[in-house]
Amino acid sequence: MLKVAQPDRPDALTWVFLGLGLLLLPVGLYLALSAPPDVNQGYLVRIMYLHVPGAWLGYLAFFVTFLYSLLYLFRRDPRHDRVASSSAEIGLVFMGLALVTGMLWARPTWGVYWTWEPRLTTTAILFAVYVGYFLLRGAIEDPELRRKAAAAVGILGFINVPISYMSVKWWRSLHQTQSIDLTTGKIHMDPAMLQALLFNLLVFTLLYLGFVRFRSLLAALEARKEEA
Amino acid sequence: MKLPVEGWPEVSGQGRVGAVRRVVLLALRDLRLEVRDRAGLLSILAFFAVMLFIMALALGPEEEPLRRAAPGVLWVALAFGSTLLSTRAFALEVEEGTLDDLLLAPGGKEWIYFGKLLFQMLLLLPLAALALLMAAGLFYLPLERLFPLFLTLVLGVLGYASVATFYAGLLARLRGREVLLPLLLFSLVVPVVLASVRATTGLAEGLPVAEISDWWQLLLVFDVVYLTASALLFPVVMEG
Repeated sequence: MLKVAQPDRPDALTWVFLGLGLLLLPVGLYLALSAPPDVNQGYLVRIMYLHVPGAWLGYLAFFVTFLYSLLYLFRRDPRHDRVASSSAEIGLVFMGLALVTGMLWARPTWGVYWTWEPRLTTTAILFAVYVGYFLLRGAIEDPELRRKAAAAVGILGFINVPISYMSVKWWRSLHQTQSIDLTTGKIHMDPAMLQALLFNLLVFTLLYLGFVRFRSLLAALEARKEEA
Repeated sequence: MKLPVEGWPEVSGQGRVGAVRRVVLLALRDLRLEVRDRAGLLSILAFFAVMLFIMALALGPEEEPLRRAAPGVLWVALAFGSTLLSTRAFALEVEEGTLDDLLLAPGGKEWIYFGKLLFQMLLLLPLAALALLMAAGLFYLPLERLFPLFLTLVLGVLGYASVATFYAGLLARLRGREVLLPLLLFSLVVPVVLASVRATTGLAEGLPVAEISDWWQLLLVFDVVYLTASALLFPVVMEG
């Protein structure tokens, strides 16, 4: 994602992503707030326009971390590690947003802030993995060892996602209390709602791209200062 | 302390046979050191006993809640115990400065991982069996189906050890490894905990094997995936 070897300031593309994202954010908010209320959930559905893009971008960010961690281990280029760690950092922010908005939504809808539903549990596990990722980065002083160790955690943590999901799914299904299907009411979506959701997804993706490029640049500057 | 190295196999001739011999030699050497030292083994055994005892005090004294909690308590104790053991797998190498010697040996580096893993399994399995007996005594866990219980123990312990050994190697040279290891490890081994606890619960409740085999399959998938990934990543992370 960072093509220039030793840049001093963000390049044009980073500014385009960030600028467009920030400009379109109020538009997305307007669309979300003017979208029709849901038949079952009423106005509560509006939290979805923050929640769903947050969760998707969180998963995307951790997937990018996984890819760039693999790339780093094969190529040993510090730039790949900087993108991986930047993406993980932004991913934690988006994932945190998704978790918090999800809890705020769950309390009035399900009556509880938290339930051991497979997708929730898997997301929480993934969140914990990347908190560990940054604790590990903070604990290692040798830059090369730090990059290698972080790459290993980034890879193993992401491989874990499908296995965690399966295990939690079966774990729940054995103790059938009440099954909560997160997808109810979201498949048949009103065009206006879908439009608003997709627009917000686009805005979040633009912001993500801008943030990652910006953060990678900051990481490059930090690394240069560390070496000097 | 002089580490026994006589009979160190050459890797150049017959590559695969040499690697397997190396794995076994490394595991046996570590096992010998650990058994001679005894302090580590005894502390882990004491840890199991104290943990099970305290949990039994906290949840008891009625039989029913103890019986229900038994699989969970057993596997949580095993999880904590295995982290204690896995830090020991590399701690001695780092103290004696022999980790670099191991890494300097010509050929691939995977055998170090497998040797340490074998060492962990050889130690953890008897310890886990003892923990199972303690859980049976303190928590009324029925032991009638001993073979399926032992299979669950093997699959679950292998799952823990595969990740724990990898992370222990990765963190071997760090100061805060005792704190970092559980933080990194426990979020990854959630599937192992869930599957092992469920399988043990099913066996204790007398469910048919067909219902439990799903959990064994999940454990097997986890073991295979993490053994492969760790064996592939270990040389990359340890070298240089």
